[in-house]
Amino acid sequence: MIKIVDLHKSFGKQKVLDGVNLEIEEGKTTVIIGRSGGGKSVLLKHIIRLLKPDSGHVLVDGTDITKLNDKDLNEIRKKFGVLFQGAALFDSMTVGENVAFPLKEQTKMKDSEIRKIVADRLRAVGLTGIEEKMPSELSGGMRKRVGLARAIAMHPEIVLFDEPTTGLDPIMTEAIDNLIIDTQKNFNLTSIVISHDVESIFKVGHKIAMLHEGKIVEYGTPEEIRESRNPVLVQFLSGSTEGPIKII
Amino acid sequence: MNRASTAIDNLGRSVLRNVEEMGRILLLFISVLSWMIRPPLKLRLIFKQMEFVGVKSIFVVVLTGIFTGMVMALQGYHGFRMFSAESLVGSTVALGMTRELGPVLTSLMVTARAGSAMAAELGTMRVTEQIDALSVMAANPVKHLIVPRVIAGVLMVPVLTIVADFVGILGGYFVGVPVLGINSGIFVKNITRYVDLDDIYNGLIKAAIFGLILSLIGCYKGFNTSGGAEGVGKATTEAVVLASISILISDYFLTAIMF
Amino acid sequence: MFSISSEAKVGLFVLVGLIILGYMSFRVGEYGFGLKKGYLVSAVFDNVAGLEKDASVQIAGVEVGRVEDIRLEDGKALVTMRIIPDVKLARDVTALIKTHGILGEKYVEIVPGSEWETYLEEGERITSVERQADIDRLLAQIGAIADDVKVVTTSLSNVLGGEEGEESLKSIVRNMRDMAESMNRIVEQNDEKFSTMLTSLRNASVQMEKTFSSLNEITAGINKGEGTIGRLVKDESTIDKLNKTLASLQQITDKINEGRGTFGKLIHDEETADNLNETLSGINRYVTKAEQFRTFLSYRGEYLFDTSDAKSYLELKIQPKEDKFYILGIVADPRGRRTVKDTTTGGVTTRTEEWERDKVLFNVEIAKRWKDVVLRGGLLESTGGVGIDYFAFNDRLQFTFEAFDFDTDRDPHLKAYAEYRLFKHLYLSAGWDDFLSDEGNESPFVGISVRFEDEDLKYLLTSAPIPRD
Ligand SMILES: Nc1ncnc2c1ncn2[C@@H]1O[C@H](COP(=O)(O)OP(=O)(O)OP(=O)(O)O)[C@@H](O)[C@H]1O
Ligand SMILES: [Mg+2]
Repeated sequence: MIKIVDLHKSFGKQKVLDGVNLEIEEGKTTVIIGRSGGGKSVLLKHIIRLLKPDSGHVLVDGTDITKLNDKDLNEIRKKFGVLFQGAALFDSMTVGENVAFPLKEQTKMKDSEIRKIVADRLRAVGLTGIEEKMPSELSGGMRKRVGLARAIAMHPEIVLFDEPTTGLDPIMTEAIDNLIIDTQKNFNLTSIVISHDVESIFKVGHKIAMLHEGKIVEYGTPEEIRESRNPVLVQFLSGSTEGPIKII
Repeated sequence: MNRASTAIDNLGRSVLRNVEEMGRILLLFISVLSWMIRPPLKLRLIFKQMEFVGVKSIFVVVLTGIFTGMVMALQGYHGFRMFSAESLVGSTVALGMTRELGPVLTSLMVTARAGSAMAAELGTMRVTEQIDALSVMAANPVKHLIVPRVIAGVLMVPVLTIVADFVGILGGYFVGVPVLGINSGIFVKNITRYVDLDDIYNGLIKAAIFGLILSLIGCYKGFNTSGGAEGVGKATTEAVVLASISILISDYFLTAIMF
Repeated sequence: MFSISSEAKVGLFVLVGLIILGYMSFRVGEYGFGLKKGYLVSAVFDNVAGLEKDASVQIAGVEVGRVEDIRLEDGKALVTMRIIPDVKLARDVTALIKTHGILGEKYVEIVPGSEWETYLEEGERITSVERQADIDRLLAQIGAIADDVKVVTTSLSNVLGGEEGEESLKSIVRNMRDMAESMNRIVEQNDEKFSTMLTSLRNASVQMEKTFSSLNEITAGINKGEGTIGRLVKDESTIDKLNKTLASLQQITDKINEGRGTFGKLIHDEETADNLNETLSGINRYVTKAEQFRTFLSYRGEYLFDTSDAKSYLELKIQPKEDKFYILGIVADPRGRRTVKDTTTGGVTTRTEEWERDKVLFNVEIAKRWKDVVLRGGLLESTGGVGIDYFAFNDRLQFTFEAFDFDTDRDPHLKAYAEYRLFKHLYLSAGWDDFLSDEGNESPFVGISVRFEDEDLKYLLTSAPIPRD
């Protein structure tokens, strides 16, 4: 489905991605974990070519998107739904318009149909009847959930979630995790989730990848990860300050 | 020696940077043009921008126009009185407004009001990943964000300019005739005598070009913002400065070509 | 809540803009619309300096077209004009270039012709072109006049400043003194004769009285028709003759009026009139020149308290320009002047001091005025010196300080006083003369002076021969 080959990316002198190799399986949920500032969001942006790699390839269904022209890229992008880390809601639009945006842009649905879908998605994330509110009137957690609603509005083939549960209360976290699992099952989604929440990782993920110092240092099923002896993983999962992951 | 060479080096770099920036603005313009002719046009977005750029600028533009006309009449009167040519005040105000001050002051006001807002808005959208979100949803940001703004700028600045021309002449009239005691018939007669249709139309063409410049630069600066809130502030300032300078410089050349 | 959509607002705004644009275009383009369809005529001018493309073409001040093009043709300017279709130009119209006001722009004026049978057609040429006294020529004339004025003023300054002028001024003063002296002499010498003259005058008046009474008698006689004159007047035929004489006189004046006869021709000839005009304007110029030129004559008497004597001044002030004047004066100082003479005989130098009374001293000064201050310098009481006057209350009050007679072994002669104008010609003054004197000459004084402007002298002086260089 998605294949990342030897991806390199630096910002100035800072090497963020240093040869990432990763295969995302179709119809599965892959969780990417790693320390804060480790380059997870950067990796995610490469998958939809919001960033161009210094070298390496990203293959989506066999096409190398790093070499695509705008038109073909747009066709590929229509397969994706993305939840950004900061939600990235359009300030100038209401919540309803935000969620409706991909539907209006990419389909020829009637307004009434669109309204129905919007209401349905908002209900799914626990925000019934806030269509007319502006994003600036929402809390951080609410914004994130609206972003999630927007990301899955289209039922895209692939969904990228950048920290979908960060900043939510435990009940809401549970609900969102379930939402991700359900949509994945119902629509056979391929999803990539970035998360720091250890509980969520094991609950949601079919595969887990650990990004450390620009490379994928561990990849496997939740069980494999849990039993891994890799000191990076051990430290990360236990939340210890002692180990190869340095806090500077 | 060393210092001199670094100075020259820096100079070269900054020239190169400016040339590069000009090139990028030009490329953006071409991309805007290509997206403009590709249907469907986002009419609702265009109207929204037209309202913002045009309708909401009426107040400042009218105020600027009126006072410019008034002060021109006052100053012109004192100058012309030395040659007993007070009757030329009206035509001076009218010519000055239609040819230069109408287009230039209007676009400077719109730059300050709307050009800066474009840069700030797009800058914020950039740093909060809204532009990325647009791209990801296969909605071209140039088409969605820049085309409506540029169209609004090109269409609305001339309309604002004609309003500024008109109220400027009115302002000149109110200072010239009741306050300074110039004969109203002669005042109006001299305006129609000396002002040509071409003066008005060329002024409006200028205004359209200024509208293009200010919206394009506002969008360019906003679109290429980086560095959070501070970056947005910087982009806004740079947009206003660059747009104002470009308007004034291009005004010279446009005047040289047109009149 | 009632709200207007963006579309409506924008639409309304654009509509308002279009209406304003339409209105302005209509007002400004009043001529523009009809003109595009107009026909072209051209004219060749010697000089079209200042005429621009799109300049107005007018008949009797009404715009009938615009200048379409200006080109050079055989060293002359070919001006093509577009004329409104409904204005027809006769074949013999005259085109001339005029100026609006002094600084206004140039335009083409077309003077209508009289041949109304055929009109100028598209592309035809106006053959009659006239030069107009325009501002350029006017300015050139003004320049020439200014040159004349300069010549006059230079010669004037030569008169007053040059040696010749100095000489003529000197002779004027000399003449005046001579005249006064001889008058005096005449009066003194003929004292006796004057009294006899007066007695005879008195006698004459008695005689006159008698004569008048007899005259009265004669006229009464005439009235009655007595005597020769009486008869003449009463005679009918005499009156007839008189009437005839008057009639022929009338004929003569009639002829003159009609311009017949030599005299009549002279009066009616244009050239004569021109000559007369020129003469008059010449006189005018002369008068204006004299107008600026003013002369003042004044007498001052100062009573010196310490010497109980009076010091007298007679001064002539010549003022060729408002802020510049010359003073010529004579001063009689009762204290006289001390002259020091060193005589060396056989190696011994003896210094003899002489007091010369009754010596006439001279004032010759040149003065310039800046607002309320006058600075002057030259000869003061026959010695080099300077003076400063300050005027207050519209020149009614004057403060003066003078310093002169800068001899090395004496203190200079300093004088300070104030003068107040009491009436038109009468001034009172008070001050201190020679207050630094080391010879006991210092003295407070009060003075009185009369001063008047001399109109006749002015003409005398301005008509003095002007030396040419
Ligand atoms: N556009 C950019 N320009 C320069 N540096 C960037 C840019 N985007 C990211 N970086 C840098 O790349 C590194 C990785 O950033 P990234 O956002 O991928 O971190 P992350 O793993 O998502 O962290 P977190 O879990 O806190 O979101 C950071 O050090 C960041 O400073
Ligand atoms: Mg991140």
